[in-house]
Amino acid sequence: MSEPQSTLLLRKQLAELNKNPVEGFSAGLIDDNDIYRWEVLIIGPPDTLYEGGFFKAHLQFPKEYPLRPPRMKFITEIWHPNIEKNGDVCISILHEPGDDKWGYEKASERWLPVHTVETILISVISMLADPNDESPANVDAAKEWRESYTEFKRKVARCVRKSQEECL
Amino acid sequence: MENKPSQQKPAENTEVNQDELILQQQRRIEKEISESIALVGEKEPLQSLEREYLEDEVYLSKAKTLGQKYSYIRRTRPDGNCFFRAFSYAYLERLIDIKDEFEKFRELALKSKDNLVSLGFPEFTVEDFHDTFMEVIDKVGAGTEASRLELHKLFNEQGYSDYVVVYLRLIASGQLQREADFYQHFIEGDRTVTEFCHQEVEPMYKESDHIHIIAMSAALGTGVQVRYMDRGAGTEATAHDFPEGVPPAVHLLYRPGHYDILYP
Repeated sequence: MSEPQSTLLLRKQLAELNKNPVEGFSAGLIDDNDIYRWEVLIIGPPDTLYEGGFFKAHLQFPKEYPLRPPRMKFITEIWHPNIEKNGDVCISILHEPGDDKWGYEKASERWLPVHTVETILISVISMLADPNDESPANVDAAKEWRESYTEFKRKVARCVRKSQEECL
Repeated sequence: MENKPSQQKPAENTEVNQDELILQQQRRIEKEISESIALVGEKEPLQSLEREYLEDEVYLSKAKTLGQKYSYIRRTRPDGNCFFRAFSYAYLERLIDIKDEFEKFRELALKSKDNLVSLGFPEFTVEDFHDTFMEVIDKVGAGTEASRLELHKLFNEQGYSDYVVVYLRLIASGQLQREADFYQHFIEGDRTVTEFCHQEVEPMYKESDHIHIIAMSAALGTGVQVRYMDRGAGTEATAHDFPEGVPPAVHLLYRPGHYDILYP
């Protein structure tokens, strides 16, 4: 094969997502010439604090994809216990087994080669609805979420508003 | 990165850097290994194993005894995938010479995708791995001397070679999950079979244990003999047949943490 497996699989997924879009997000390339860098737009899931928001994020795939996971970073400002202040997403599905520095529970779902952009985003959307405060990436957000929920809600609402303005 | 908010900050930061350093070092070692050891090496006379242990009596005597039963060894890269890579290479190599067994295996491989999908594996990605798996099988299926060269070439191309490993891991996982009631007894801790598969079988680079070999040999109906070479008593590397009583189609050498291929 002249091209690495990763480019073929990513191309196939992009075509599939364009043909049969999945509810909750849209996906495309940042630069049409680089199949390894994707931009996704996540619609804040209904019945959550993030409802009504439009959150832009980038996915950076390694050449070893799908053997190794991509990295995901929110570009739109977002306040959430499992998203670092710089936008990096920290969920177990984006980490390989053995990569235990995050202190995830042993049984939590890790990266597997069968995962796709779709399964990643389904996990991220469910994380927005249901934060995991066992392994927070944004410690301040996690603390607020637990101890001063009103303040947490206020910050999230501000992010939602800002994301709407940026989208206009 | 910080762990739990209750921990003190400075301690966390040192921990962070340590973790990063360990991870970086791990990647460096992996890179060194991948640059110096082929995914699957050439066939070498078994004496090359003895030469590794000139200074080590226990291993040397075991290597010598092994030399009475086996003529050649073929080394694989120690990247955690060595069992699956060694097994599939040795099995396909054998099938080059045995036409009807090859056809039977091809039929089984062809059907395996639907079996995995019916177990709940996502079709989109499984199909991708399956296509490449079948491509490799068909490329070495001609049964000629050129098939051997093709097999060796494909198994040393990262793309093909790793996809074969990914797919075999899925087949092994499927086997374990299909017979979960039976395999549950072999799993330590309070993990379910499915959890075990997600953590120890399906991810790349995860090392294989008895249960992986049992699942693989059961899924393909293939006998595997493993010679265990370690510091244990005796002058012989103990043989273990998977499953017991079935004549082995594939012979492997196990040294702690690693599998290579043996040829009688």
